[in-house]
Amino acid sequence: MIYKIISKGALADLFAGLQETYDEVVGPQERGPAFVFDKLSSVDEVRLNYPSTILPPTKYFLPADERLFRFDRSTGDVYDSEPAQGTRAILGMHPCDINAVLMMDEIFMGDYVDPYYETARKSSFIIGVSCMPEPGHLCAAFGADEIHRGFDLFLTDLGDRYFVSCRSVPASELMDSYVRSCEPSAEDINDFQERTKRFKEAFAPMPKMDQLPLLYGAKYFDEELWERIGDDCLSCGACASVCPCCYCFDVRDKVDPGGKTGMRHRIWDSCLKSEHAEVAHGHNFRPTRASRVRYRFFHKFVGNFSRTGKMLCVGCSRCGKACKVGINPGSVIEALQKEYLPDTAGVEVFKGGGAS
Amino acid sequence: MTPHLFAAAPKPRVAVLSLASDFGCQVALSNFPQLLESLETIELVYWQLVLSADLPDDFDIAIIEGAVTTTEHEQFLLKVRGVAKTIITIGACAGTGGVPGMIDSQESLKQAQQEVYPSGQEGAGATPVADARLVPRPVSAVIDVDYTIPGCPIDSGEFSNILQGALLGVNERTEREPLCAYCKIIEAPCFYLMQGIAVTSAKAQGAATTATPCLGLVTQTGCGALCIGKGRPCTGCRGVAIDANLPAAREFVRKAGRSVEEFDAALRVYNSYYLEQRSGDEHHDSA
Ligand code: SF4
Ligand code: SF4
Ligand code: SF4
Ligand code: SF4
Repeated sequence: MIYKIISKGALADLFAGLQETYDEVVGPQERGPAFVFDKLSSVDEVRLNYPSTILPPTKYFLPADERLFRFDRSTGDVYDSEPAQGTRAILGMHPCDINAVLMMDEIFMGDYVDPYYETARKSSFIIGVSCMPEPGHLCAAFGADEIHRGFDLFLTDLGDRYFVSCRSVPASELMDSYVRSCEPSAEDINDFQERTKRFKEAFAPMPKMDQLPLLYGAKYFDEELWERIGDDCLSCGACASVCPCCYCFDVRDKVDPGGKTGMRHRIWDSCLKSEHAEVAHGHNFRPTRASRVRYRFFHKFVGNFSRTGKMLCVGCSRCGKACKVGINPGSVIEALQKEYLPDTAGVEVFKGGGAS
Repeated sequence: MTPHLFAAAPKPRVAVLSLASDFGCQVALSNFPQLLESLETIELVYWQLVLSADLPDDFDIAIIEGAVTTTEHEQFLLKVRGVAKTIITIGACAGTGGVPGMIDSQESLKQAQQEVYPSGQEGAGATPVADARLVPRPVSAVIDVDYTIPGCPIDSGEFSNILQGALLGVNERTEREPLCAYCKIIEAPCFYLMQGIAVTSAKAQGAATTATPCLGLVTQTGCGALCIGKGRPCTGCRGVAIDANLPAAREFVRKAGRSVEEFDAALRVYNSYYLEQRSGDEHHDSA
């Protein structure tokens, strides 16, 4: 890793470099009262001090609706199966979102490599940016508030300048060619530490993670508990749509009007839908809302954990904002811990309210 | 040579039929840019809007628009079900009872008849208002339906997709969940958030707000959040989703500081039949 200091004004030079080097530069922008990652045509559009975005930038690696191939029924031919081409710089990813991408990498580029994900991922240049926790952000509970890999550049905001961590060869080349920078001084490093301290202290008390996977397993069959949490679920799937760690998809065929040609595509799916666990002859092994909500968090806190040692959540808080009935990792963990650890009462749990 | 998957099987004979509706879905169909390509895959034997042919005695697929509002409709549907192998309904009227379904009881039917035909006549010298008029119902209340294409009007692309599926014998695959996830996919800030802000600032200025509550909370997805993307709340035209949790949705509306009565009134526009069927079912819905 190489460390540099750049002025805030130098962001425009960095942006110019990105625009010349990559087919597309995307970053957080305002949309009404919310923020979204979208294509940037000028550095003035980017809002690097954004709280969060409606969808995570993972949408660039696993899009909501993606063509897998086209087919011709009359000849049996399959064509247009190449992953989408083009390079992209993603400016302004928060530590939680980069941590989420690292988890997605294990899923889509681990034992089985998904060529569509892999192509999009490998043609991306990632520039992280430091943040400040907002109400409901739980990254610190999941160890996702720091990031040490998975990016090319990382910008830590020191007020009038950025402390830049440079992690890749393309990143160093870009910095050398486009951006005027200097070596960090003792004062810069001191300010970096100060900033880190402020960041860590800004977190509200986190939910108690003590023995969470075991506890979850032990309370799995507590029907009353799960009905209390799950019966309110609107079964909308908004939580999974906005989650940077959710990766379920459904594969469907669409036949063109003429009946001969068509397309196979994949679209986001989620375990909150009643169809997700329905099998042949209509049997559904998660027939109730409670069983589906229980499963969602089981997968996050236990299933993935027992496989990789990591929980499938980076605490980004998007589901907390998207869920209209207040079901989110914070509220579920609170409900699980409450009877064992009554002192957790008072932990701030974001109740949602359809804010995204 | 690769075997041709389109052996010369006869094209399925298709009839487009209408009950009580405003023909909006048929107009949407006739405006379908790829209609001619679609027509190559079928033999259109009857479509009042575009053909002069009479309804033949036999056909394979019936595409039905409109709500069931007379005993004549009922008898017609039973006959059609006896003839057609496949029944596809198009639009809200046929699918949920739609706007005609706002007349949801014998009393409101009587009242509407008196308002519209005060003399008891349907027009000068015309037949007397039939006692045969019924409280409007969806087609599925009378006969089994194989494929339902929701919406007011239907999306012709979705129609084509389902029609091609039907021709191939693919099982019906209804979207079950409500719309909200799709608002996230198009990254449209939620109306309850936007209106919450609007209501707060209007109240601060002493102004009244007339925002309609968004029905996407319970409405079947699949439209791509079309209305929300265009800046209008969902009006529920695709019907209440199979997975919808109406009691919890009402509770959310209440907590968001909006009127549950307004929400229900808005829902009645397309979903009165559904609400009538489920009235009395006010406890939590956990399925
Ligand atoms: S969840 Fe954590 S890492 Fe993500 S934006 Fe909030 S404070 Fe930053
Ligand atoms: S479960 Fe919720 S908080 Fe955790 S990563 Fe997903 S969206 Fe973020
Ligand atoms: S966002 Fe909330 S209401 Fe919607 S499916 Fe997820 S948990 Fe259920
Ligand atoms: S469908 Fe309506 S209620 Fe649901 S997220 Fe969209 S705007 Fe909000």
